[in-house]
Amino acid sequence: MRLEKCWFCSSTTYPGHGIQFVRNDAKIFRFCRSKCHKNFKMKRNPRKVKWTKAYRRVHGKDMTQDSTFEFERKRNRPERYDRNLAENVLKAIPKIDKIRVAREEKHHKNRMKGKKQKLHMEAVRELEQGISLVKAPSVLQKDPFLTLPKIKVGVSQQQQSEENHPMEE
Amino acid sequence: MGGKCPHRNVKKRRYSHKTARRTKFELKGDDMVYAQLNKPDQERPPLPVDEDLPGMGQYYCLHCDRYFANITVRDEHFKTKRHKKRIKQMMGPAPHTQLDADLASGMGMPDNGPKLMSM
Repeated sequence: MRLEKCWFCSSTTYPGHGIQFVRNDAKIFRFCRSKCHKNFKMKRNPRKVKWTKAYRRVHGKDMTQDSTFEFERKRNRPERYDRNLAENVLKAIPKIDKIRVAREEKHHKNRMKGKKQKLHMEAVRELEQGISLVKAPSVLQKDPFLTLPKIKVGVSQQQQSEENHPMEE
Repeated sequence: MGGKCPHRNVKKRRYSHKTARRTKFELKGDDMVYAQLNKPDQERPPLPVDEDLPGMGQYYCLHCDRYFANITVRDEHFKTKRHKKRIKQMMGPAPHTQLDADLASGMGMPDNGPKLMSM
């Protein structure tokens, strides 16, 4: 039994799940959930809906070109069974999966490379624009730093007199 | 006095008119129209003569999938805003297909095997 991909969100549809629409020109549309089916009936474009794989592919958020993708494909011609080949393939599957996961993580890390610097610049800009909310402008003229002075608070400790201990006799 | 009749359904009445039913059920899909438009002109079949269609089925707008009674009405349709919007849409990127969904989920191109000997 084949594991098909949803037409809308590209997630895997296992046998016994989802719904299938066959148009009168014999084109098949498979859906994994009623969420995708409803979006299809509303004529939404998967490339414009942000939670779909098609959107993420078009906007560069997922890895699109990799040799590990070539191992998984729809094979429209049945292969003759070969015991040695089958054993080797079963042995290779976890290795290929590990490589793919590592490459996806690397792609994500590369995509997030400039994020820390961007966040820092945003923080600096916010400080420069919003410092007057916590520091008055007149105080800023005397002390033009973007930090607040530390405030020392004195803590008083009272010595308890021995006369107030009723337990001691 | 003023109560709601339990049998009348506004939604059903609102969607039962001709335009809504045609838009929902009878129009060709975007990918079918796109495929027809991208065929070279020689491969497009001539419009079959059909007595059930207006104008014997000879005055047809491929973008909007509509038949017209004569050439004047069809040319008037070509000036409408809806038709122009449709043309612009069809000149854009190709519509989404199952192949796009497969590629986006991390599968390769389908393997159709070697070409069989042609009879």
